[in-house]
Amino acid sequence: MPRALLISYIDKDSFFHKLNPVTKLVITISVIILIFITKSFIHNLIIFIFIIPFAYYSKLTKQVFMPIKYLFIIFVILFVIQGLFYPFRETVLIQLPYGFAIWTEGLIYASMISSRLLVMLVYGYLFVLTTHPGDLVSALRKLRLPYIFGYIVLATLQIIPRVQSQMATIIEAQKSRGLETKGSIVKRLRAYTPLLGPLFMGSVQNAIERATALEARAFSAKCEKTSYRETIIMKKDKVIMVLTIICLIIFGVTSWLL
Amino acid sequence: MAIVEFKNFSWNYSGYRSKVLRNINLSINKGEFFGIIGGVGSGRTTFCSAIMGLVPHLYPGNIDGELIVDGLNTEKSSMSDLSTRVGLIMQSPDTQLTGAGMNVEEELSFGLENLGTPRKEMIKRVKKMIKLIGLESFKYRNPFELSGGQQQKVAIASVLIMQPEILVLDEPTAQLDPLGTTLVFNLIKKLARKGITIILNTQKIDYLAEFADRVAILNDNEIRKVGKTREVLTDINLLKKNRIISSDFTQLSNELINRKLYKGALCMTLNDAKEMISKVKRG
Repeated sequence: MPRALLISYIDKDSFFHKLNPVTKLVITISVIILIFITKSFIHNLIIFIFIIPFAYYSKLTKQVFMPIKYLFIIFVILFVIQGLFYPFRETVLIQLPYGFAIWTEGLIYASMISSRLLVMLVYGYLFVLTTHPGDLVSALRKLRLPYIFGYIVLATLQIIPRVQSQMATIIEAQKSRGLETKGSIVKRLRAYTPLLGPLFMGSVQNAIERATALEARAFSAKCEKTSYRETIIMKKDKVIMVLTIICLIIFGVTSWLL
Repeated sequence: MAIVEFKNFSWNYSGYRSKVLRNINLSINKGEFFGIIGGVGSGRTTFCSAIMGLVPHLYPGNIDGELIVDGLNTEKSSMSDLSTRVGLIMQSPDTQLTGAGMNVEEELSFGLENLGTPRKEMIKRVKKMIKLIGLESFKYRNPFELSGGQQQKVAIASVLIMQPEILVLDEPTAQLDPLGTTLVFNLIKKLARKGITIILNTQKIDYLAEFADRVAILNDNEIRKVGKTREVLTDINLLKKNRIISSDFTQLSNELINRKLYKGALCMTLNDAKEMISKVKRG
């Protein structure tokens, strides 16, 4: 059975869900631009806290924060490596034995990077959770963005669980032939390496077959494309897009000047 | 009138020494139900992909002779032109689905979207097609979560919705359980009645015996025999020579004839067998 998706659309009846995908894309991209303008991680954390009303109004308060746990280990690594080895270090925060030290600049740099990651992850995830992939493709097509890009977005979301279940099948098949997948990290790494071959080959084989299926559906036909799902840019979408860009400029300038 | 015409057609995948299809001369008529049987590795799948134009457009190799499909030379015309004329269904139900739709309705409409069909027409056709395949209660389900038989039905429907003249089925039931097989064959039977040209490559001779107008034996990369279904499928020696196991009914009738319990023609379908048994019973 296919395992639960990490990335998936959750159908809810909310204001945010009903917005045009393009509007949501504009909001998400604006936020991402904003966090690269800011010069302090505290500003980024404020932007991060702003997700709460968004999440609340899309009725997904809990779900939005779920993927943070996957980033936790990256944060730890970032803080350790940057704290110890940041190249532009000047101030020692804590002196460690053997000539090592934790540097203030390193920690500030690490918190900047992690706060950016945090914001991108949460806002990006909210976008994915509230946008039907079909609507996204349809909206992209209307903007005359290449439809192949749209298909890649949609099919990736659908095919990831296929690959996961394929992986599970291969693991089970290998286990039934006596593969040991428990033990120390080295042992586990060694156990999973032989699984990559069949997984990779299988995926390539499936990709070829799927390509033929796509050709059988006139995927490469050179004509004006239409969409089954209808997406309309309404008045409220236009208003929100304009507001978002105004907000981006105001916040961007203030944060830059502060 | 011939709709598919192989004229001395040969195909050689690049990198392989021997030809996968050798000097094929064959014409399939419009509205015909045409069956293909043969041994493993005899080029049947390549035969099917040639009609769709996958050979030579998607796979590299060398072509000799020509193949005309609905007036188009497959070598010279594009895949997208061919895809509106020919629908191809292959073995694995999972990879037949494009992943472009979150539910059955969207999966079905994908081909029409690519052809630029207006939305109203699309909705109409999707509704009709869902009714035809009998998946009304599943139309909002993700196609990947359906059973194999249902997935294969969705795959067939999503090709059919583009209203091709010819439907090519390459072992559509090879990975299905008996129930799934029956579901798919019942759908194919329904389509055959509508007058679509169907080219079916299958190992399931019993089903072919019931539906097909003509059958070709493709073995060792060559066409060994083309003829009326009954003529081919009841020729036990011919089948044996081509390593094809004849239907249980044919074997049974052959055995009864050999034991001089029955005087008559060889059986091919279940109905034939029923008739035979009632005759044998009467003495």
